[in-house]
Amino acid sequence: MNFEFPVPIDADLLVIGYGNSLRRDDGVGVRVAEAIETLNLPGVRTLECQLLSPEYADPIARARRVIFVDAAVDRIDGVYLRKLEPGDNSQLMAHAADPRTMLALARDVFGRTPEAWWLTIPAIHLGFGMDYSPEAEAGFHDAVAKIRHMAAGEGVQDTKYCKAVGNLGAVDQAILA
Amino acid sequence: MSKRIVIDPVTRIEGHAKISIFMDDAGNVTDAEFHVVEFRGFEKFCEGRPYSEMPGITQRICGICPVSHTLASAKAGDAIMAVSIPPAADKLRRLMNLGQIIQSHALSFFHLSAPDFLLGWETPPAQRNVFGLINSNVGLARAGIRLRQFGQEIIEILGSKKIHPVWAVPGGVRSNLSAEGRAKIQAWLPEAYATTKLALDLFKKTLETHQREIQIFGNFPSLFMGLVAPDGSWEHHGGKLRFTDSSGSVIADQVDPADYQKYIGESVQNSSYLKSPYYLPLGFPAGIYRVGPLARLNVCERMGVPQADVELAKFKKLGRGAVTSSFLYHYARLIEILASLEFVERYMADPELSSDDLRADAGINSLQGVGASEAPRGTLFHDYTVDRNGLLQKVNLIVATGQNNLAMNQTVAQIARHYVRGSDIPEAMLNRVEHGIRCYDPCLSCSTHAVGQMPLHVQIIAPDGTVLNEMARG
Repeated sequence: MNFEFPVPIDADLLVIGYGNSLRRDDGVGVRVAEAIETLNLPGVRTLECQLLSPEYADPIARARRVIFVDAAVDRIDGVYLRKLEPGDNSQLMAHAADPRTMLALARDVFGRTPEAWWLTIPAIHLGFGMDYSPEAEAGFHDAVAKIRHMAAGEGVQDTKYCKAVGNLGAVDQAILA
Repeated sequence: MSKRIVIDPVTRIEGHAKISIFMDDAGNVTDAEFHVVEFRGFEKFCEGRPYSEMPGITQRICGICPVSHTLASAKAGDAIMAVSIPPAADKLRRLMNLGQIIQSHALSFFHLSAPDFLLGWETPPAQRNVFGLINSNVGLARAGIRLRQFGQEIIEILGSKKIHPVWAVPGGVRSNLSAEGRAKIQAWLPEAYATTKLALDLFKKTLETHQREIQIFGNFPSLFMGLVAPDGSWEHHGGKLRFTDSSGSVIADQVDPADYQKYIGESVQNSSYLKSPYYLPLGFPAGIYRVGPLARLNVCERMGVPQADVELAKFKKLGRGAVTSSFLYHYARLIEILASLEFVERYMADPELSSDDLRADAGINSLQGVGASEAPRGTLFHDYTVDRNGLLQKVNLIVATGQNNLAMNQTVAQIARHYVRGSDIPEAMLNRVEHGIRCYDPCLSCSTHAVGQMPLHVQIIAPDGTVLNEMARG
């Protein structure tokens, strides 16, 4: 199989939804990616997984922009979009990695790192099951809308969007400014 | 005064665990325990579900080896239906399992373990990881990722779905190998072979410089267990169980996996959620046995494919009888990758994988079904008891990491005895003890994806709870 280095870009936007779809809200990122896939948006690819593992560095490096969609317990008051940079001191500590580690792997191993964001959706209930809390359900719809917005080429600095994603903290405001 | 060293958590393994090292008054290591500190409860909450749902449910046990669980579960379902699945379905399941072995072993070797022995034990932890490996040899790191990607590609081509494909089902599989998928796999094979041979050459050089590690990283007599074919060759998704001892003698052979309870006892330790299975006829703990790549290569007589058979012959020369050093799990993994590639190549020339005869159908014909398959880390058992409606009354899962639990304890104790004196906690000891665990590539759970940072915390604790010495990193 021919392998080109650095890898060529073959997608404008890659949406990676990750989580455990049997742990209620934890699976909402996967659900978002599945919903985006059904829309067949031009230039948009999706990837659903339970864990981020090293081989995903390849498709990440091949995308111009990447959105990691995850359930989050640290910010449960709305959907947040946080700009991501490759981790400098990240380690692949186990069989899985975090988004910043994936960006660093894409850069160091496949020669490119895309512009990237971490889109988080409130996770309230993480017990066994396949249904979602009202917060995660609302977050799902917000997240899909935002990704459609970005896929259409509209920037993340859109003021309306910033309102739509909830009350951004000072750090996130600065990132998005 | 006796002391205890605690390593909590252990890094670059899957899941959360800690290690306790017990010392006597003279400061010598007396024992060690590997504790799993998380509880899953999968066996219990599956009760009441239809057995036909289990291949879909149980693959969520683990985000790294879902294929192993879904295949063992489908086999348990076959047994409940009392059917023989169509030959094409058996081959397709085997092909998916080979993809699973390739991807899992590639991750274990290139990214979790190789940084230790390629970069050196004394390299600081901040550099002794995959990024250190990238800085040292980016081509090797890339090749390792690509090899894992190849295994994942096989799984995705067959399952059609990127995550949790409901593909293997009781009675067979849902779809065959497409012409497009076949072409893609064939095109990728040469690169996968080249990477595997590169890794084998590299590890053989490592063997020359790591004689001490071979001697003390889990080098002790134990039994070994794995599936073998009727002719004694390597098996990964069929065949029967074989137990051998450390002299290489077969002590039980062609055991039907459905009879596992006659041969395997399950002990429970207060300090861990991990079960400690043992060879029942020898009792606990004398019946300690190992599973996984090292065990599979010890119990089989040949791999059944030419290139891997050459490597197996070299591997077997490393032991007198069985190969007993757990450091050689790494070597065994590479040989299994090579064998898997050869079997994949063989399947690519097999037209039966395009067959549409993929499922046998039946109702409930047995109220109990056992499915056994070789997961990358070792033999995996799924044992289901159902009622007349097919609803699960009882579930018993025996996973590879549990079966290696007693061996991991011994490995830690053996390494610590060589590096710990008094209350000092040398960094070199921590690195090696952790690597001793990584030899087994334990997978404790992956049900939640948030691993986060896992700092290493070691304490020497007196019986009265006083912390005598402490060390943290990360």
